[in-house]
Amino acid sequence: MIAMVDCNSFYASCEQVFRPDLWGKPVVVLSNNDGCIIAANKQAKAMTHIAMFEPMFKIKNQLIKNQVTFFSSNYTLYGEMSQRVMNILETFSPSVEVYSIDEAFIDVTGIAHISLKQYATLIKDTIVTHTGVPVGIGIAPTKVLAKLANKISKKVEKFDYVCVIDTDEKRTKALKWAQTKDVWGLGKKHQARLKNIGVFTAYEFTQLPLAWVRKEMTVVGERLWRELRGESCIEFQTMPKSKKAIGTSKSFGKKLEDLPRIEEACAYYISEVAEVLRAQKSCATYIQVFITTNRYSNADKQYSNSCTITIPVPTNNTFILTQQARKALQRIYRPGYRYKKVGVNLTGLIPQQYVQGNLFQSPALYDKRLMNVIDALNHKFGKATVGSALVGTRVAQWELVKKDRSNRYTTQWGELLELKNK
Amino acid sequence: MEYFQAGKIKKQAPNHKPNVSTQTGFPSPATHYLEPSIDLNKELIYYKDATFYVRVSGNEWSEFSMLDGDVLIIDRALTPKAGNLVLIVQLGAFKVIRFPATSGSTSFTVWGTITYIIHNTL
Repeated sequence: MIAMVDCNSFYASCEQVFRPDLWGKPVVVLSNNDGCIIAANKQAKAMTHIAMFEPMFKIKNQLIKNQVTFFSSNYTLYGEMSQRVMNILETFSPSVEVYSIDEAFIDVTGIAHISLKQYATLIKDTIVTHTGVPVGIGIAPTKVLAKLANKISKKVEKFDYVCVIDTDEKRTKALKWAQTKDVWGLGKKHQARLKNIGVFTAYEFTQLPLAWVRKEMTVVGERLWRELRGESCIEFQTMPKSKKAIGTSKSFGKKLEDLPRIEEACAYYISEVAEVLRAQKSCATYIQVFITTNRYSNADKQYSNSCTITIPVPTNNTFILTQQARKALQRIYRPGYRYKKVGVNLTGLIPQQYVQGNLFQSPALYDKRLMNVIDALNHKFGKATVGSALVGTRVAQWELVKKDRSNRYTTQWGELLELKNK
Repeated sequence: MEYFQAGKIKKQAPNHKPNVSTQTGFPSPATHYLEPSIDLNKELIYYKDATFYVRVSGNEWSEFSMLDGDVLIIDRALTPKAGNLVLIVQLGAFKVIRFPATSGSTSFTVWGTITYIIHNTL
């Protein structure tokens, strides 16, 4: 049996743990640069008269008027709270697959001393007591069904955040409850196609002939069909897959015109992605750099471009990557525009032990030890303690805006929760 | 040389370091008595994933020996017993109380049990 554990409105919940004055009140969390809302708790979602998906500048006044509290995203805090939740899950099962920052599959096969429902309730209560973050838990024989059970645990009130599908009768009931859009991994295109042939619920989907599903929806559809019928097809993965590409792009805190500052931002992003690259022991073959102006602005001249460079010998060395990225950036930069964003993508990732040299260059040319020391220093003394000089010291001038970010309560001694009498 | 290592499972480096004297002259008489140094994380923290730190501001709770600037170690995993210092939430605000023996008429939510008060004497 598989349990899917999912934190309820995770980002908002993390903020509320340290803000009891906001318990039971609407809370939303904003994207990087405070551009739009990326997470809302139940109370905020209930305010359907506010268009939550609109850009922040359009709805800010409405949020204030309705007493919705908004936070800039505090990923340091969310990441740490997520780690705590996952650590607690490890104490409940030998096999935990961390699926995303706020969800995990855990193997609960063989739990015999208490019922699965009691076990799930114990897990749920432990997590909220220890961390303050509430979770919902769905248990079923397959991942797709567990995901569905999780959804039911949250949507159907009487389940109170724990739902176990352990009999055919309960499975059928759950499938009849679920619309096709409630099935994990069933895309919009397939939903529309199913609707065309009169299939609306997950149950109706499982009643289709397998041959039709295989022909019309490929092996992906077949897997869902089987999983929903209780046949497990999606393996448990306790190790994360190596990424095929790593990239980052963030808007600047304000528009930038001159090349040096954009180069600094670009070098900073390179140092971020190169670190991830080294952590997974890969090297990149291609590097893509792109810049763009604000396409929503009518007042500005528009320009955007990108450039991909093949790195002579694949590498994960920050300095070589920075050098190549700078070359690419200089090729596409045009003066006279107000740039909003620069981004970098590393692709063609290969394991570092398989790097091929070429006729003129050996892969061992660059010393790995320097990168090891840099990573160790940054790990010990904080992000970007040492790095390429091209990053410069003016990060604050272009870094994105996090105006309403909460304290990093769990990682910074200087930002602890303050206890004072009001 | 590195190419031959590709794909092979590397033997884990030995992580056990026997306590052998590193002195060049006389062997250390302490060799067989070496122990790991005291680790405050081990001594002061019971449940790492349920532990939070809170800084006291003001002298409102001096009756509990909590002074301005002190840092409280708070464990959310412990079930408070009567007389324990606890951080509670009442009417949306944090407060410190001694956990009562009987649950009286006042309603509150326990946020966590205070296990240690760190006070800087410098």
